[in-house]
Amino acid sequence: MEQPTNLWRDAWKRLRRNKLALAGLAVVAFLVFVAAFGPWLAPHDYLSQNLDLRSVPPQAAHWFGTDDLGRDVLSRLIYGARTAFLVAVAVTLIAVGIGVILGAIAGFYGGTFDRFVMWFTDMTMSVPQLLLVVVINASLKQPISTWMETQYLASLNPIWRNTMLADFVLVFGSMALISWPPYARLVRAQVLSIRSRPYVTAARALGLTNRIILARYVLPNAMGPLVVAVSAGLGTAMVLESAFSFLGVGVTPPTPSWGNMISDGLRVWTNSPHLLVAPAAVLAVVTVAFNFLGDGLNDALNPKGQK
Amino acid sequence: MTQTLLSIKGLSKRFDLRAGAFGQTAITVHALDDFTADIRAGETLSLVGESGCGKSTTGFCLLNLHRPSGGSVIYDGQDIAGLDEDAMRPFRRDLQIVFQDPYSTLNPRMTIGEALSEPILFHKLATKAELPARLAQLLADVGLTPAFARRYPHELSGGQRQRVAIARALACQPRFIVCDEAISALDVSVQAQILNLLLDLQDKYGLTYLFIAHDLAVVRHISDRVGVMYLGRLAELAPARDLFARPLHPYTRALLSAVPEPDPRAARSRQRLEGEVPSPLNPPQGCRFHTRCPLARDPCKTKVPAWREVAPDHRVACHAVTGKDQTNWETP
Amino acid sequence: MTALLEIKGLTIDIARDNGPARVVDGIDLSLDEGESLGIVGESGCGKSLTMLSLVGLLPNRIKATGGKAMFAGRDLLKMSSRDLRKVRGSEIGFIFQDPMTSLNPVMRVGDQIVEALVYQKNMAKPAAMARAVELLDLVGIPAPAERARAFPHELSGGMRQRVMIAMGLAGHPRLLIADEPTTALDVTIQAQIVDLVRELKDKLKMSVVWITHDLALIAGLADRIAVLYAGTVVEDAPVSVIFDRPTHPYTRGLLASLPTLAGAAMARLPSIGGTPPEPGRRPPGCPFAPRCAQATAVCQTVPRLAPVPGSDPRHRVACPVVLQELT
Repeated sequence: MEQPTNLWRDAWKRLRRNKLALAGLAVVAFLVFVAAFGPWLAPHDYLSQNLDLRSVPPQAAHWFGTDDLGRDVLSRLIYGARTAFLVAVAVTLIAVGIGVILGAIAGFYGGTFDRFVMWFTDMTMSVPQLLLVVVINASLKQPISTWMETQYLASLNPIWRNTMLADFVLVFGSMALISWPPYARLVRAQVLSIRSRPYVTAARALGLTNRIILARYVLPNAMGPLVVAVSAGLGTAMVLESAFSFLGVGVTPPTPSWGNMISDGLRVWTNSPHLLVAPAAVLAVVTVAFNFLGDGLNDALNPKGQK
Repeated sequence: MTQTLLSIKGLSKRFDLRAGAFGQTAITVHALDDFTADIRAGETLSLVGESGCGKSTTGFCLLNLHRPSGGSVIYDGQDIAGLDEDAMRPFRRDLQIVFQDPYSTLNPRMTIGEALSEPILFHKLATKAELPARLAQLLADVGLTPAFARRYPHELSGGQRQRVAIARALACQPRFIVCDEAISALDVSVQAQILNLLLDLQDKYGLTYLFIAHDLAVVRHISDRVGVMYLGRLAELAPARDLFARPLHPYTRALLSAVPEPDPRAARSRQRLEGEVPSPLNPPQGCRFHTRCPLARDPCKTKVPAWREVAPDHRVACHAVTGKDQTNWETP
Repeated sequence: MTALLEIKGLTIDIARDNGPARVVDGIDLSLDEGESLGIVGESGCGKSLTMLSLVGLLPNRIKATGGKAMFAGRDLLKMSSRDLRKVRGSEIGFIFQDPMTSLNPVMRVGDQIVEALVYQKNMAKPAAMARAVELLDLVGIPAPAERARAFPHELSGGMRQRVMIAMGLAGHPRLLIADEPTTALDVTIQAQIVDLVRELKDKLKMSVVWITHDLALIAGLADRIAVLYAGTVVEDAPVSVIFDRPTHPYTRGLLASLPTLAGAAMARLPSIGGTPPEPGRRPPGCPFAPRCAQATAVCQTVPRLAPVPGSDPRHRVACPVVLQELT
């Protein structure tokens, strides 16, 4: 009888045999590395313009060429990776946090709270993400920027000049607030099924408190599918960030984002195709990598699903 | 006569299920109806019956793992039926349970040592310093070496896991253990080992068992008294010797005759019970066994038979039985 | 009597990450026309795999790697999957343990039997339906015409198992293999099913192989019993011989540890120490030796089935130690 046991070690063994997932893992690891050490890796300042070298194709000094303002594309891609990764991690962390807490409590205790959470989850899921972000962008962004400007003028503290702060807190905060429902549902379903396992009943029979049972008996056993969902969720959040930035409701230029680089590149692609190809290719590779990794984790953590 | 450990009166459990798109139709399952019996200190009381008879529900309700819908369970002079978790906690130490499925009874993420330490530390039954010695003692009690403390459940066989589950129950130093089909899922050659272990521990620690099983042959060997249940109700309760030698309730007789005997000659001629157990969603009126009972008469269809002591310490719920070896239909 | 089924030296391997693991190691078994054979063993002893291998229903990664299985003159192990499909159902019927998961939940039970008949016997649908109702009647289902229109979940466990038996009988097989068909059922229902299979065997003149872990159950059913342990047959004898003079230490231990309703009630049952080895982790030599009180140096070599002197001519046991004592 094979049991899902030393889950992580077994899963790693199975993952290692899956070449696609390993490739995905490598790309993701590289992305994390680039995002973490971006400022040291980038060959140029992502903002410095060299008007003598505008829209040049890839060459020795600029591996991926320069854009129409003469900025180094590679450096902007590297900083774009920082943006994408930061957004993805922040959005996913907040969403997972909300989802796990609500889902676990709803699934474990059931009753009225469960019904309320499920109702709230369904409500939230019915809000179209794009629409919400556009609405927030249109209604709240301007007043907040104005308010931050006045704060800056009053205090002269440079933190109020940071537009990224407004972007993140507003747009991606709101994104996080509507992307928790899948996590909540997943965790609730897991907890519901684990709650009735004999070892949980045994823990109750031992007199342990609900908090101990939830933390030590239920949640650790619910982690497998959550890890898969988080891996897929990170990829999705990155694509979403790019999509919003592409549409002009995400990160505000000049902060580099793959989305607004693609959007800029689209306008000039007949003359300078590299401006479109480079960010689009990077986005595609990273997205595919996250999907491969997610699939691989899924197979590794749920070996029974395989043939 | 020995002391009563648990006095159970009228214990009942109903499960309300909701059906229909809006949960508008409520279906009630009568899992346990009016269970009345005393469990005596130091004895093994067994409950037998077919699936859906309420034997496991009885065990769960006694320990408040299912909240009973009615009735009382007096332990140590206090009614513990329906206590909430916090009020129940002090009693949990004394009243323990061992489950059927050795593969899911242990948390797969905890080593055996962690699993056994949990109740000891939680109930402050030993200090951190005393813990290793206590663990070794517990493992030795169930016939395992101290090295098992570092292992994970998946590294153990079914029998070993069940030993650990027993050790976990013992960790609380209980007085009473519900063995809920504790050996049913084990291999034949391992069942006897675990059974013997349970009996040894009973002698050593003066434990009282409620032994829930469907295998009557096993029950005969280890029980002091046996209760036979059918569709949520007790049909008969008697000392094991009496029950197996002189079963009074027609269901008990049918059940006994259905047990396969390891004897090729005896096995081929036996009386058979017709039909199947009715659904607990819609149990028959009157005596719940009347739809399959060879003795059933009119009163059985309307009147619930009384729970009566028809011989010393031998109780039966049947209109047809008035005394030992007697069936009386003239005066129902 | 001629042998209907003869298995010789059957080996079955599981493909594991670190190479194949042997789970069935050289099983020899034979079954006569009209005979019923009980195969008894604990979980993981290979009793089900042995029978599944005959009809080509082994799970993925598990393969019969050696030996032969002659059924009515043909080697089942060498047959193409197409030919096997024909044998399955029409010559060898199968009943599984869990009728709930073995029946298609979204199909009426009558239609499931009809499908088997149309496929195996090329019957026309109306004739097949009439035959399906007959079969349901044969297995003791009351109001068979109505029950044929029921879905599996509308039937009780016992009724579902009767439907499974009806499906197993649909092709009028010469051999019916029952894989623990009563394990999921209550005792009173189990007794009904055992009686039913015994009656049907006589009525339809079939051979029956009944796989079980329950020695007591098989006592009332089988003509002959083969006891399996860790992928080998350790003892094979007529049913009365097994119960009257069990010879292999494992059979003896198993019978001694079996609680009964007759005889003296003793609190402590004699038990076999240790646990059966996991499938594919058989100890070298006699697989039972690590748990055997009588084990000697001889037991380090794999024992072979040999006739027991002074016993029934069909009584064979794989234990040189007890054989030595008897001669």
